[in-house]
Amino acid sequence: MKKMPAFRQIAAYAGKPERLVWVILTTLILVSLVASPLFSGWDNLRNVFLIQPVGLGLAALGQTFIVLAGGIDLSVGSVISLLTSLAAGIFQKNPLMHPLAMVALMLALGAAIGALNGMIVARLKVTPFMATLAMMLVYQGLALFYAKRTIGGIPRSFRFIAEGKVLGIPVSILLFIGIIVLCHGVLTRHRFGARILAVGSDPTVSALSGIDVGKTRFLSYIFGGMLFSCAAIFLAARMGGGGPKVGVGYELDSITAIVIGGVSLAGGTGNVLGAFGGVLIISVFYNLMNLLSLNSFLQTLLKGLILILAVAFTSRKKRG
Amino acid sequence: MPKDQDEGTLLKLSGITKRFPGVLALDSVDMEFMKGEVHALVGENGAGKSTLMKILSGVYQPESGSITFKGVPAVFRNPLQAQTAGIATIFQEFSLIRPFTVAENVFLNREPSTFAGFKDMGTARKKTTDLLGEIGFDLDPDSRIEDLTVVQQQVVEIVKALSITANVLIMDEPSAVLTDKEIKNLFAIIRKLKARGVTIIYISHMLQEIFEIADRATVMKDGKTVGTRNIRDTNKDELIRMMVGREIKDFFPASIRTKGDELLSVENLRKGRELEDICFTLHAGEILGIAGMAGSGQTVLAKALFGIEPADGGEIKILGKSMRITSVRQAMGAGMGYISEDRKNYGILGPMAVRVNITVADLGRFLRGGFLSGKMEREASAKKITELGIKVAGMNQRAVTLSGGNQQKMLIARWLLKKPRIFIIVEPTRGIDVGAKTEIYKIMRALVEAGSGILMVSSDLPEVIGISDRIMVMRTGRIEGIIDQTGGLTTEERIMSLAVGHDYSYGEGIPS
Repeated sequence: MKKMPAFRQIAAYAGKPERLVWVILTTLILVSLVASPLFSGWDNLRNVFLIQPVGLGLAALGQTFIVLAGGIDLSVGSVISLLTSLAAGIFQKNPLMHPLAMVALMLALGAAIGALNGMIVARLKVTPFMATLAMMLVYQGLALFYAKRTIGGIPRSFRFIAEGKVLGIPVSILLFIGIIVLCHGVLTRHRFGARILAVGSDPTVSALSGIDVGKTRFLSYIFGGMLFSCAAIFLAARMGGGGPKVGVGYELDSITAIVIGGVSLAGGTGNVLGAFGGVLIISVFYNLMNLLSLNSFLQTLLKGLILILAVAFTSRKKRG
Repeated sequence: MPKDQDEGTLLKLSGITKRFPGVLALDSVDMEFMKGEVHALVGENGAGKSTLMKILSGVYQPESGSITFKGVPAVFRNPLQAQTAGIATIFQEFSLIRPFTVAENVFLNREPSTFAGFKDMGTARKKTTDLLGEIGFDLDPDSRIEDLTVVQQQVVEIVKALSITANVLIMDEPSAVLTDKEIKNLFAIIRKLKARGVTIIYISHMLQEIFEIADRATVMKDGKTVGTRNIRDTNKDELIRMMVGREIKDFFPASIRTKGDELLSVENLRKGRELEDICFTLHAGEILGIAGMAGSGQTVLAKALFGIEPADGGEIKILGKSMRITSVRQAMGAGMGYISEDRKNYGILGPMAVRVNITVADLGRFLRGGFLSGKMEREASAKKITELGIKVAGMNQRAVTLSGGNQQKMLIARWLLKKPRIFIIVEPTRGIDVGAKTEIYKIMRALVEAGSGILMVSSDLPEVIGISDRIMVMRTGRIEGIIDQTGGLTTEERIMSLAVGHDYSYGEGIPS
């Protein structure tokens, strides 16, 4: 009980996890401002707050819905790699394809991949961890088989999604905010969101209330898969290409972000805005590490420690 | 008996059979419910009432038998199908999502919506408030379930069922935690629903309630229907005779009531908001039953004593020596044994042999030069199997294939090897066939006669009364009273009145 008094103080001060994430973010930003003069440069701020968080943010949103329903998706990185590779490859063969047709195709593929993952979890009753760990390999293998290396060929018209501006505001940011608002609305104000939270909180009770638990989990993977494809669309548009390595690290980054953001890995508790706060924290943190030119192995090590801290904190909360 | 095509029959069950591993829960049950009647279902714990209702509400699927609803055969594969068909249920265990609000729970999965499935919580809140007003209960529809008391949760449960437009409303012990005034309101609602033609299936222990509200009563015993009576043509004595049908003294081994040394003494034990001010003693030679409504702290107490979730403060003395118990190891070292109510998850090693299951907690004893001696293990297991009369095909039979009663005996055998003097047993006969129950009781009795003491947590009142020498009744984490049965057996009503903190009088004391 006397272990880690600092934890308790922080927890007591910040109160609920919803608030904690913003406290950490503010602290981290203040630390960054002091630690590196480069942090406050306009280009850097734009990168940290407007560009980096979009790809990870979309992946984390998808992860949020899946985790809230009591699952997890470790295949998100491979899915993003596969989808960006496909987008680039298809554009190379059909340069004149309409960008919206590609968007639709990507969304459909994301939904199909989510459906496949969801089916394995809900129908075959494979634990979400194992199912998506295995599918991570499958999608990674497909991506490597299809693309072998990074390929370009994304036309300017499609790149508008990431690079374009409307009234001086980046299109990507407009779309991203729109998607956040939509996801927040779905989770807090839609029946689907209520079912996801109920199933994640207590599957037995949910079933007694007439909720189809398997179907809800299945749908959470489809919804998540579509958000993953949004991430892939944005990344392909930003980079002008795709490849089998594009999504590397997204699985752990997305999970770390939402856990810091107050989404319980046990399911049922958490919200979209907190998850977004977690994404900003990851983004600022990575940026700070780069600005301080920390060794890459040290970066990897720190990421691991942060994940442990975040998960340990939420499990402490559960018990306490 | 009404004919098959009786005009008034709304719901008909025929030949419903349900088997759980090792237990025949329902044995070819036939029952009929009329439109607009209040039909009481009575019987002891384990008679099969709740199982039958779970089949009606789509939670369980029967092995055989058929349901006819509104004149057509019906199959409810899941709770949603039953609800959609018009059967609403108030479950005995709460079916509420704890982090959700009252209104969110009441309309869970049936949220009113005005646009594309987006919830209209304004309407949900208003309807919830209206329903709460109808039963005369004041509760904020926006408060979270985890912040509510057990009574308030029960009210939410009732409101949730009422919000479903149902033809049949199943109420499984709805009144257990309610006060007289609330029960009165509940009855008023039942009468209102009845007038609207809703059929109410009402399960209760409280016979006086049944005589106030029900039109007919069906008695169940050991998974079978004993008979159905019109309330007007019957009386309490007849129903009780039908329910029991077996003399208590045949069922429970007699206590010889020798009080030995003080094995365990607990002073001012407390744990958070779950346990307060717990003081009691346990002597060699006695079975101390712990009763109370679900969630009143009985299991928390058992777990605290055994160090599973240690208490925050207070004194525990074992054989007169003050001990601090903060881990299971310490508790075992102090001579305690614990048998959980959840045999499947916290008791048996399902896929492993009975022999291993018996010796696993004390493998150190079977070491020869650092290696397990199979011979010693087999000898010890064989001895316990005969001693306790565990029915096995052989000691290598896998534990999961045993019946509930034999699994329980196997667990007792496991602890006997360690020779603890204090046994904590939670729900000793849950999910065990009636016949096997008596054998478990005999073993428990033999244990205390050999100088042990047993602390038994049980929600089965006849069991608590039948086997305990003293009964400790808990309410909201405190000891509400300790009943000494030396002078004669107490009554379920006496225990219930302590457990719920208000008086259910014996006679005709119907709240009115």
